[in-house]
Amino acid sequence: MAVLSTPRSAVQLASKGQPLREHLFRIALIASLAIAFVFLLALLSYVLIEGWPRLDSRLWENMPSVRNPDIAGAQSAITGTLWVISITALLTLPTGIAAAIYLEEYADRDRWWNRVIELNIQNLAAIPSIVYGILGLGIIARTFGLGFSVITASITLGLLVLPIVIIASREAIRAVPPSIREGSLALGATQWQTISRQVLPASIPGIATGSILALSRAIGEAAPLLMLGAVSFIRFNPDGVFASYTVLPIQIFNWISQSREGFHILASAAIVILLVILLLMNSAAIWLRNRYQKRW
Amino acid sequence: MSLARSRPRHGEQVIKAILLVAALVSVATTIGIVVSLLEPTIRFFGQISAVEFFTSTQWGPLFEPPHYGVLPLVSATLITTGIAIVVAVPLGLGAAVYLSEYARPRVRKICKPVLEVLAGIPTVVFGFFALSFVTPLLRGILPFEIEIFNALCAGLVVGFMIIPIVASLSEDAMTAVPSGLREGSYALGASRMITSLRVVLPAAFSGIVAAVILAISRGAGETMIVYIAGGGQPNFTLDLGKAMQTMAAFIAQAGSGDVPIGTVDYNTIFAVGSLLFVMTFAMNYVSARLVRKYREVYE
Amino acid sequence: MPNVTVRGPVAPHTAEALDPVFTVAGLSVFYGEYEAVREVDLTIGNREITAMIGPSGCGKSTVLRCFNRMNDLIPGARAAGKIMYHGEDLYGAHVDPIEVRRRIGMVFQKPNPFPKSIYDNIAYGPRVNGMKGKMDDLVEEALTQAALWDEVKDKLKQNALSLSGGQQQRLCIARAIAVKPEVILMDEPCSALDPIATTKIEDLMQELSRDYTIVIVTHNMQQAARVSNRTAFFTADVDERGERHGRLVEFDETSRIFTNPTDKRTEDYITGRFG
Repeated sequence: MAVLSTPRSAVQLASKGQPLREHLFRIALIASLAIAFVFLLALLSYVLIEGWPRLDSRLWENMPSVRNPDIAGAQSAITGTLWVISITALLTLPTGIAAAIYLEEYADRDRWWNRVIELNIQNLAAIPSIVYGILGLGIIARTFGLGFSVITASITLGLLVLPIVIIASREAIRAVPPSIREGSLALGATQWQTISRQVLPASIPGIATGSILALSRAIGEAAPLLMLGAVSFIRFNPDGVFASYTVLPIQIFNWISQSREGFHILASAAIVILLVILLLMNSAAIWLRNRYQKRW
Repeated sequence: MSLARSRPRHGEQVIKAILLVAALVSVATTIGIVVSLLEPTIRFFGQISAVEFFTSTQWGPLFEPPHYGVLPLVSATLITTGIAIVVAVPLGLGAAVYLSEYARPRVRKICKPVLEVLAGIPTVVFGFFALSFVTPLLRGILPFEIEIFNALCAGLVVGFMIIPIVASLSEDAMTAVPSGLREGSYALGASRMITSLRVVLPAAFSGIVAAVILAISRGAGETMIVYIAGGGQPNFTLDLGKAMQTMAAFIAQAGSGDVPIGTVDYNTIFAVGSLLFVMTFAMNYVSARLVRKYREVYE
Repeated sequence: MPNVTVRGPVAPHTAEALDPVFTVAGLSVFYGEYEAVREVDLTIGNREITAMIGPSGCGKSTVLRCFNRMNDLIPGARAAGKIMYHGEDLYGAHVDPIEVRRRIGMVFQKPNPFPKSIYDNIAYGPRVNGMKGKMDDLVEEALTQAALWDEVKDKLKQNALSLSGGQQQRLCIARAIAVKPEVILMDEPCSALDPIATTKIEDLMQELSRDYTIVIVTHNMQQAARVSNRTAFFTADVDERGERHGRLVEFDETSRIFTNPTDKRTEDYITGRFG
């Protein structure tokens, strides 16, 4: 025991200095993150610098044009985006939240159909967006006869982001402690009273965060709408859900496809508008999440 | 004083039924996708032989005479996705190890939202950046020639697009590794690097593989970047500097034209769509299985 | 014997309550295949405090949760045997669990106020039950009965989560009282509280037992001795497969249980030799 109880000398315990490979490894890890951030920074600065000359009121006051980049604007695309996203929100948020309530509060996981619904939602979340375009083209536009209209675009985008809304809402609902439900039920409240008056109000911040992120995904989505008639140059604002339409990402795509430099500047300016909208939505979501995080 | 129901509550059942219908919308979506793909695909194979579709190396359904070999589209998809993975896996994993094992909470709190911003950039914006900034940059620095539309740039930018997927899902898997394992390793005198590489990474392996597979599937299904930066020519080649057309890009290109319903051209879109759907579906399935496996181990 | 003051009997000695609110006969509770509680018989007297004590895992909370059918919420839970409530089978086919819970209130182990204002916490029960009358009066009455009114009357709009743990628990009692139940079930209501808050709740229980029938589950013997008229002692048997089954060992007036228990296991438990 004498050997063991003899304290080691301080010299032996002192750090010999981390070996070089430890440092290199750490630097490599930081570099991976840094490269991603530099890419993002380059992208943001590039579109801002490139689009700066055209970042003025012409962008939202004028209609698109393929002839003269100097007078072209994106008004019909901006109003089209507002139309499509509003209808998407109206359709998909109630559906997604209702589905989440069903799965969290009512579904008996021992029943096979409930397991099928759950698996199915996971799968839907990973299907490429262009495949939703095929669904929109084959079923919603053709079979349902809704044509290339705002409503077709909204239904398609709504289905595309529905899994995001459901998954986020389920997490928010699950975060409400069971003791709140018990407390309500023990007072003689029915299950729906418990859900609508206790569980939902308590999970609203989480549901709102997920909903905002889902809608911001829908705002930036272009691929499925390429197949749903948004590509044509639309020089008027939609006047209803059955109207023809275009949206910002598609308008941007159209200008990218033009060979003249002026249209690329215009595309950059429109991208800045799109990114500002998305960044605002993202910040709102992050703010909501931090503001209302875990009160129990 | 009876304990029987004092007033009828039919509302409760009606509400439950409505909620169930909402949940079934997702099932209807899947059925809708399968139905919308299946019928034109079956008709396509009534018109074009499966042998030609899967073995011919020429693709040009909109040309005269038309060719229906899907291999150029498949190879283009594999090549761009491969490049993307070469970019995204090391960078995404490096970022995940840093965030999970090294970064202080404050640093993590700043870095994660930035990754979320990267994840939230619309793909049309990535496509524009690829075509008008990355390709000219590559042409300036690379020793070999690349075309304006090329698979290399498209693949690289898809890679940056999927970094947040690899990073955040891998980080989840690493965070799920119990801290006891790390402490055991540190207690034996192992360094942070050894602990990360020999303990945390192996323990989180299936979760990381699931993340990578999901990222591959996202890359393979990506449309706008490869459509804008990869060009519209279905070249069957391994030359990364050449234009290529992926399956998703073909669907977007053919689908955005006004193709008359019922024609071979129209059905072609759906046949390629079916192939893409089956490929991504298979990858998602494998990924989901792996995620369930690592959840079972540690939860 | 431990040095405890024991609450006197309310009626001449009898193990069974004379004026029963609940009569439990041969109650067994199952979770799936597992039998958590085996063949319990007891009676709960009107406007008495009945304590259920015993080591953890003995099924006392499980039995309590049968009285307002909260066990219905656990998938696979099932009760066999009979619980009669004023002569009506609590598990009868026509019985509506929601109606049961309206009449039989419950207070939980951990205070669980809703993340709303103090006022809304109290008003919630009356509102969902469609009770008539002036809500402000109802709220004041419930808070007064729960001995909380003076402390919160100036901050009724404040979030209930800002109250202290003891105040939160009294708020939960007030919330239960507000729907004017006949019985209040309490599942270890003081286990998350400090001694001073515990004393307040115990005093409150004495006060409330004039108007309400109270059943309390506690693992604190002293508490049972201080507040209850009758005590049921539970324990867990381990069967040949190693599974634990809750059992009622002895049920009697509290004074008897603590001074002159008939069962050896009860004596061992209350003298601290076991559990």
